[in-house]
Amino acid sequence: MTESALPATSGNAGYYGLPMLRAPVWGWHVAWYFLLEGISAGACILSTVAQLAGDERDAAIVRTGRFVAAAALLPCPALLVADLGRPERFHHMLREFKPSSPMNTGAWALTAYSAPVGMLALKEWTGGRRASALVSRTARLVPATPLAVAALPCALTMISYPGVLLSTTSTPMWARTRLLGALVACSSMSTGAAAISFVVAARTPAADRTLGRLQRIEHVATGAEALALAGYLLSAGKTAEPLTCGRYCRLFWGGAVAVGLVAATVGRVLSKRNGRHSRPATMWSAACTIAGAWALKWALVHGGRSSAEDPTAAQYATQPQLSTPGWRPPA
Amino acid sequence: MNIDYTALAEVWTHPDPPAPAEEMGFFTDTTVCIGCKACEVACKQWNQLPSDGFRWSGHSYDNTSALSATTWRHVAFVEQMEPESGRPPRWLMMSDVCKHCVQAPCQEACPTGSLIYNEFGNVYVQQDVCNGCGYCVAACPFGVIARDPEDGRAHKCTLCYDRQKDGLTPACAKSCPTASIQFGPLSVLRQTARDRVQQLHDRGDKDAYLYGADASGEYSALNAFFLLKDHPNVYNLPEAPRRPAAHLRTNYLFSFGASIALTLASAFLLRKDR
Repeated sequence: MTESALPATSGNAGYYGLPMLRAPVWGWHVAWYFLLEGISAGACILSTVAQLAGDERDAAIVRTGRFVAAAALLPCPALLVADLGRPERFHHMLREFKPSSPMNTGAWALTAYSAPVGMLALKEWTGGRRASALVSRTARLVPATPLAVAALPCALTMISYPGVLLSTTSTPMWARTRLLGALVACSSMSTGAAAISFVVAARTPAADRTLGRLQRIEHVATGAEALALAGYLLSAGKTAEPLTCGRYCRLFWGGAVAVGLVAATVGRVLSKRNGRHSRPATMWSAACTIAGAWALKWALVHGGRSSAEDPTAAQYATQPQLSTPGWRPPA
Repeated sequence: MNIDYTALAEVWTHPDPPAPAEEMGFFTDTTVCIGCKACEVACKQWNQLPSDGFRWSGHSYDNTSALSATTWRHVAFVEQMEPESGRPPRWLMMSDVCKHCVQAPCQEACPTGSLIYNEFGNVYVQQDVCNGCGYCVAACPFGVIARDPEDGRAHKCTLCYDRQKDGLTPACAKSCPTASIQFGPLSVLRQTARDRVQQLHDRGDKDAYLYGADASGEYSALNAFFLLKDHPNVYNLPEAPRRPAAHLRTNYLFSFGASIALTLASAFLLRKDR
């Protein structure tokens, strides 16, 4: 780099181009966790909503939602524990109740959420097969509606906190926006609906009404996700470069946008013909939604590392503003 | 495998903290730093921190490059020798350290309560509590605290908590031959620092200023603050750090707003009469 005989100078570009911030240590565990807990909580919310607002013909949504919620939740605790530097101390997360830490809030929400979701899935499971008298009698004692209602605030927290957790850091790409939480929440809702659609389309031969109702929810959730994504890109501006033109741009534009938003929406529109829903097309578009959400969450989590390691992004994100004038030499 | 169940349960106990003592901190006056790295060595020795290996960085005399889980003092070397700028050449040296923020983002982020303020007002990682979640690493706006891949926990400067408990000066300040690193009660240190800036200004060194002696907007003061001679970015410091938790409520508002709106929209789309 040095062309003259003089030693390298750091100048105003920073300190030899070295990172100002430390890259977050989170990796693939966290990206997969955000995807799976989003599917789980999104499906749980829709299942509860279908139970409270819908009629008996929506039973497939309620039932499938409960199974999807529990199945997607199963690997989540293991993923989180494996990501710790000291996995055997996972229970230290519940040592205090600390609202200033979204990770602490998330740990409590996950704990509170897993109990009703697990019980509801067990009830559905024993109700659908010839279980022993004791098991089915115990399952009948489990009150479905109160449990579903109790799970609702936990599930809402589960889809709302991951983006806020990322935003409550100094990583420029995550911190310079108010909309990351909303983006992750919308993505989680659309994956929850897509997962239910996928299972219903795969298992139920004549489910046009159910698929149609789910498809409308998916359209709304995808629309909200697109809006939140546009808002995120606008508010994050230059700090979103790892996604827009940096290391994760192909995954972001190709996966999250082209597959998750565009291909999934086109697939859903094309799956409906003469009032009937093509089951393979429904499954295909649901898979696109979930693949797109995986790409989005993977790019968000991993892009944060590139963002933190880029000193120009860190300098840009800590320019003085009205609320924070900063410390600098006298003019 | 022997599991110590008493130790498992003790995690939930919160023993009475020691009585608050006078708040102590560091004032690092970079104008008298000679770049001897005695602070780096003394810190490594006292805290029994392992070597980081040997590597030529090519960046002046700085082969340490940055603070890390096993490096709690780092001397930065800034060479400003551009003949075309017309300025006389100068060599800035600065011994960097954990800033011990009065309101620390790492402490606010820590989900386990491992990160605390000790009785001297210093930010301290309780190593028996830390489970290595890594949230403090992403929260710190100065890139200070780090997770050690060897032992899985977060580490940073303790401001020699153990030495302070015995009434001793932290190892780096003790070893500093030019009093560039000064340790003492913050009330005294802040006044010393202001007097020093005034002295430099009177001598014509108009670019001297204090970094972190006072709060700046949403960001608190730093209990380890600095006297600098150039823009903070030159020393790899942020000019106006943000306090991540200051935006927590707004972020939650938008996030829960979107979640609840989508839930209500789904309820509308799933209503009975459709």
